[in-house]
Amino acid sequence: MTHTSDPATATATAKEHTTATSLRLEGLCRRIGGRPILDGINLEVAAGECLALLGPSGCGKSTVLRVIAGLDPCDGGRILLDGRDISQQKPARRRVAMVFQSYALYPHLSVERNLSLGMELRGVDPEQRERELAAVLELLQLSALRRRRPSELSGGQRQRVALARALLRKPQLMLLDEPMSNLDAQLREELRPQLRTILCGGRAPAIYVTHDQQEAMGIADRIAVLQEGRLQQCGTPQELYQHPANLFVAGFIGRPQINLLPQGDGTVVGIRPEHLRAVDEGGLAVRVRSREWHGASQLLLLESAQGPLRWTCDGNQTLGDDLRLGWERRHEHRFEQASGERC
Amino acid sequence: MSALLLMAPALLLLLVVFVWPLLDYAWLSLQAQSVFTGLEAVPVGTLNWQRLLVDGRFWQDAWQTLRFAAVSVALELVAGLAIALLLHQRWRGRGVVRGLALLPWALPTTVMALGWRWIFNDPYGPINGLLQLLGLATLPFLAAPELAWLATVVADVWKTTPFVALLLLAGLQMIPDDLYEAFALEGGTPWQGLWRITLPLLRPYIFIVLLFRLAQALGVFDLIAVLTGGGPASSTESLALYAYLNAMRFLDFGYSATVMLGMFLLLLAGAGGLLLWRRQTDAPQEVRP
Repeated sequence: MTHTSDPATATATAKEHTTATSLRLEGLCRRIGGRPILDGINLEVAAGECLALLGPSGCGKSTVLRVIAGLDPCDGGRILLDGRDISQQKPARRRVAMVFQSYALYPHLSVERNLSLGMELRGVDPEQRERELAAVLELLQLSALRRRRPSELSGGQRQRVALARALLRKPQLMLLDEPMSNLDAQLREELRPQLRTILCGGRAPAIYVTHDQQEAMGIADRIAVLQEGRLQQCGTPQELYQHPANLFVAGFIGRPQINLLPQGDGTVVGIRPEHLRAVDEGGLAVRVRSREWHGASQLLLLESAQGPLRWTCDGNQTLGDDLRLGWERRHEHRFEQASGERC
Repeated sequence: MSALLLMAPALLLLLVVFVWPLLDYAWLSLQAQSVFTGLEAVPVGTLNWQRLLVDGRFWQDAWQTLRFAAVSVALELVAGLAIALLLHQRWRGRGVVRGLALLPWALPTTVMALGWRWIFNDPYGPINGLLQLLGLATLPFLAAPELAWLATVVADVWKTTPFVALLLLAGLQMIPDDLYEAFALEGGTPWQGLWRITLPLLRPYIFIVLLFRLAQALGVFDLIAVLTGGGPASSTESLALYAYLNAMRFLDFGYSATVMLGMFLLLLAGAGGLLLWRRQTDAPQEVRP
């Protein structure tokens, strides 16, 4: 991807008719056969904000999008778009655009037909159609590909077409369902800043579903962590990393994974691998079991009396070394063992 | 060399079941082999072919066969598409209905043709029974040319619509749901979706259906042989039935082979036209910049 045009200004133009909106979910529920898939989700996304929905597979994050879009029914709670409850409206009336994981491009239509079909359905007159089409093709650098069919495009190009189609909808809310999961890692990293400018430059709020925390941190203003249909924590990437609300969030955010050391008193202490320090006296006695070399640092897998530990360090320890490790008090996270909540 | 060797089984099969009988028939069409020759093959050159060109019954049957095929396949396509769309929706009991819907197709044609012959019976069949119940006169379904032709079409549509529906249902299942979801989010109605997404993406399947069904309907034999016997006054007679009558009733094997080959050539021309049409409409319409 090269930078020929300024995406932010062009997005603003593409969205000039859209007024600033905000989204509020109040106790959103979805059940399938009596089993709760979503269990009272409360969320707020401000105009121009990008919220990432993060969670393991099957946690219900895609269902949140589908319920908001109206593709799945809302079994409880309200969806307020600009203060208006849209939870019972037909999908077509919600002014919500969605980028599907599969992109869902019409295989029998060229890029330009894929993009103009929606405008045609909404009764946009031909001249304006052509104008807006040209603008969005320019913005996403698709002008040279406008006559190709989706099957003649690469994964990244398809993703841009899907994004262009969503932008042309001039949505009051933008939904993206793992839009990068079909792309290779390098392309994903290249596209991230561009996607961020496009999503955060507009006036509509955006919800971005992903299971990749790096992607969530790189693109979103705030992250909502979901597990088993329940919202675990919602905050900026820094908040989630520095003050995880419970054991699940602590374990899910941050790579390598946090060390959890059960204490005798019914609490668990969490300490991130990068916060451990070698000490001469006191601390925890450990032995080096194996290591992974990561370039700038190395990850040591250690064994201690309290179980296995991960330590990110730049030292030169070798296998079988005996060490003592400590950490600063301010880096310590303490959770109740039974409930998993932060103390 | 090894390529040829690997293709040999398939080639051999084609040769035995297709090319050889065809050549045999081509040879036979140049012979007189009938009761007049004592059932011995006597070379007569193109005499049979000259007769074919001026045989009014052959061309009459060709027209009747074409009319039968065109009308019944068109009806089957529309009804099959409607049933396929219905069976593609999610509803309670769909699985059972999907199975039941296939029954007419699973029935042997002869058996179902006998059934229809009884249904159309004048005056004892159920349809005429119903007409009588309503105080109307009975209709000679199988004795009046137009009605008999209609009866063959009705029976054929009843029997093969499930086949069409099955193929189109398979096609519908190949269309990802998210296309419709994206379409709905863009403001499209289900009716628009049918024309903008379903039918264009179903095109290859519609083509297959047309190819299969037209080839089958143009060669129709058993249904008509049992239901009307080609009557009344050979008004429902198909080309295949005419070829059969020439061989088995008139014992004129040479001319029967000629009729058969004539029909084959007509079919070939039709299929060629269809392929050509498909290639033209399917060619990449757009040139890349």
